[in-house]
Amino acid sequence: MSSNETNRDIGHSPSTTNYWNPYLCGVLIGLVLIASYTVLGTGVGASAGPARLGAQIERWIAPTHTAATEYFAGWGEHPLAYYLVFMLVGTFVGGLVSALLAGRVECGVVERGKAFGAVPRLMFAGGGGLIVGFASRLARGCTSGQALSGGALLLTGSLIFVACLFAGGYASAFLFRRQWND
Amino acid sequence: MIETFYGRNALDTPVAFFAALLMGAAFGFALERAGFGSSRRLAGVFYFKDMSVVKVMFSAMLTAILGLALLTAMGWIPAGNLNLMETVYGAHAVGGLLFGLGFVMSGWCPGTAAVGLASGKWDALVFLVATMLGAIAFNELYEWIKPLYNWGLQSEPQFAFGIPTHLFAFGFALVGVVAFYFSEWIEKQVGGEGPYLQSGFLKAYSVAVVAIAATLFVFPGDSDTSYTVARPVLSDARFSSDTVLSAVASGADHIEPEVLADQLVKGDSDVVLVDIRNELEFKRFHIRGAIHVPLVDVIARLESYRDAREIVLYSNGMTHPAQARDQLAMRGFTNVYMLTDGLQGFLDRCLRPVSLFNEPLAPERVHQIATWRSYFLSDTNRPPDAVGPPDAVGPPDAVGPSSR
Repeated sequence: MSSNETNRDIGHSPSTTNYWNPYLCGVLIGLVLIASYTVLGTGVGASAGPARLGAQIERWIAPTHTAATEYFAGWGEHPLAYYLVFMLVGTFVGGLVSALLAGRVECGVVERGKAFGAVPRLMFAGGGGLIVGFASRLARGCTSGQALSGGALLLTGSLIFVACLFAGGYASAFLFRRQWND
Repeated sequence: MIETFYGRNALDTPVAFFAALLMGAAFGFALERAGFGSSRRLAGVFYFKDMSVVKVMFSAMLTAILGLALLTAMGWIPAGNLNLMETVYGAHAVGGLLFGLGFVMSGWCPGTAAVGLASGKWDALVFLVATMLGAIAFNELYEWIKPLYNWGLQSEPQFAFGIPTHLFAFGFALVGVVAFYFSEWIEKQVGGEGPYLQSGFLKAYSVAVVAIAATLFVFPGDSDTSYTVARPVLSDARFSSDTVLSAVASGADHIEPEVLADQLVKGDSDVVLVDIRNELEFKRFHIRGAIHVPLVDVIARLESYRDAREIVLYSNGMTHPAQARDQLAMRGFTNVYMLTDGLQGFLDRCLRPVSLFNEPLAPERVHQIATWRSYFLSDTNRPPDAVGPPDAVGPPDAVGPSSR
């Protein structure tokens, strides 16, 4: 950690640890899932947001090409007109409200261990994001839309997804441990 | 009784968008409260430093599993109102493994990154942009990935590995409690803290989870049917599973290529022929008179044909038409048929030059094929070599005078 960086720059401020009981947060998320299934008839979801934004951007840049690609073409001419896009906006807003109330908004933080640089950390974040974006399409959802939402209905595919998610994570965790070294 | 937006096919309305926004806000609030606006905390689960991910995920899943099981057992959510995602064993397994790799590399998943972005984290922003690029890459590679994407696709959603769902849910609750205590214990071993290990809270919470799971056994009407989430697609009031299953068994949900060809040549305007392949394939060649509707749009686009005598679906194979047929049947469509053997069957049986049949054909049949060929193989609409084997349709030169 270079001399002009503070604990704040790497997300180590004291206010960051004043969280609610994780079990009760989990129950709260479970209640949100129940509410979503009883009102919307679907679970929650997040990965559709960036994916559909990607489809819209590709449409703006190369409309004919995008219309000829089977996957994005299936989302129609207005991929952003979709309930999960609005849900992700809501997730951002809800997170913002909570973070503001708890005094946890700290702009410009690149969260990492003290002994790790900001640039390599952002490269890990980007590399992982690419893989997650791809894997979420393949699995038809992410931790929210597939693991939690499908798991809530005990869908076998979703349960397989969760098990493999943790297997993949634990199997490769040693490769990325240094970014959290203090 | 609850009728959901999904059940009313109204998920694409402004009210549903607003409801989704509110659900998202509650979801984001809870994620942030749990500390999931922090990649360090999320990644901690993979190093046994901070097991919050396990505690939160198991709690959320157990709450939702038990809540939804009880609601459906009491009949409050009628079948057909829940979106049941398709089960694709291979894609879910490979997707999960890759996702785990990306998760531990980045320290984020999409929902938590939205909350991380709200907390001002640059790494969350970079992650989300990359997620978008990953989806674009998927789209560009889709043609090649398709076999993997559909690897292990089941004809209908599968539940709980085939174990009776109330049994599975109870077992899941027990596993959850073990996971809670293991998480607290290992946090103590690794970081010296296991805040809830000896607490009365965790004891009471664990007992409550198991007790609620146990009520699934004693609930009135407890059997396979108590878990109507398991069978909503086939028990919709507008759509009796018996009629569809008997139609499937007797083949009455199929239409033979010859029958369809005759109807089309006669100019039967009450037949709606629907090509659900991708746009490119459709542009290259389609059966004359077909309209193109992507699989994802069948419900919206075919609503106006609800009263047509026949809606005939075709694709390259039979899997996608069957999916579309199920979706439409669930919406109360009773006029949906699948073209037997798909486009290939049509090409083989109706448009193959007479000279390429191995067996001799009756004169009426020869005449029929000539009529069909002249109708379906006009200059503007000839199948390229890519569609169908060369010996079936052949290059334009081999088509013969009747096609002109």
